[in-house]
Amino acid sequence: MQTTPHGAPPVKDRITRGTPVGFELVGVKKRALIQLMGSRLWGRFNPNHWDPVYAQETGLAAPIQTGEMSTAYLSEMCVNYLGENYYRNARMVCKYVSSTQANDVITTHGVVTAKEPKGDGFRFTIDIWAEDQDGQKKTVGQMEADVDV
Amino acid sequence: MSVNSVPATDSLRPMTSVQVDQTREFVASLDEKSETYWDMVTIGDVLSRDLHLSAELVILYADAVEDFNPWYEGWLMNRWHMEGESPFGGAIVPPMLISHFVLSVQFDHTKPFAIGSIHTFHDTQIHKPVPVGSTVRIQTTAVDKFTKRDRRYVRHEVEVTDVEDATLYLSETRDILSL
Repeated sequence: MQTTPHGAPPVKDRITRGTPVGFELVGVKKRALIQLMGSRLWGRFNPNHWDPVYAQETGLAAPIQTGEMSTAYLSEMCVNYLGENYYRNARMVCKYVSSTQANDVITTHGVVTAKEPKGDGFRFTIDIWAEDQDGQKKTVGQMEADVDV
Repeated sequence: MSVNSVPATDSLRPMTSVQVDQTREFVASLDEKSETYWDMVTIGDVLSRDLHLSAELVILYADAVEDFNPWYEGWLMNRWHMEGESPFGGAIVPPMLISHFVLSVQFDHTKPFAIGSIHTFHDTQIHKPVPVGSTVRIQTTAVDKFTKRDRRYVRHEVEVTDVEDATLYLSETRDILSL
């Protein structure tokens, strides 16, 4: 994937009307850092997300990353391929199927699974998921967006 | 980490004894005031809060998930406040930022805080880009409470609109797992 000088979503690899079903997105990779998991904007309000003592008291093996963080990772991947089409008439569905613990390395994935004619363009459906270093899925979902509609 | 022993407060990140004490005091303060989310919510409850999407808030969100897309930059170190640039003109808000804040509305901030609850699912419709600097009204309606595999869930429907002109930016279905 070609990147632009300042980190904006690359234009060259955007999903276009010619993109076929089966096209695979290159995702993003992040480490789940406890310092970020417990930041004020993210998980601090719920010690399940950052305090090992409280997490165990509530039946967790360790603090877990708030699912919204992996949604943000998936969102970043989708923006890289959909550009401005991500921000209008789009739909993002995520289900958190397993918890992410500190130091897990999360990689996002996506594959185009449907392409339906709509207006002058197409409605794309992309299966998206985030998995850890062992290949275990943490978040699964779908992204839908209009292209050239 | 063994699930049979009590983990140390500083088992995941280094702390001094002062920091450990502060952490335990903070957690205790939450617990003393909390009730389960299940008990906090009644089907039909409608809650609403206004959220100002300042440039600093957007940067705080994006940096914590290492998303450095310049379309979100209405603030930069050294330059400080700026209009920003995006395909829609000025800087825009990552839509999932607002989705994240739905939680703060659903936990009625006039009631004891319900810690220990976990988001499990969302279905988000992104209608329009949200300009950095907007103030949005997040309205949530509790539409269902259900038990599934011995776990309790609360479902909400959400609408996010601009407080000035009522532009619909986002709508959503969201589930929370309650203790």
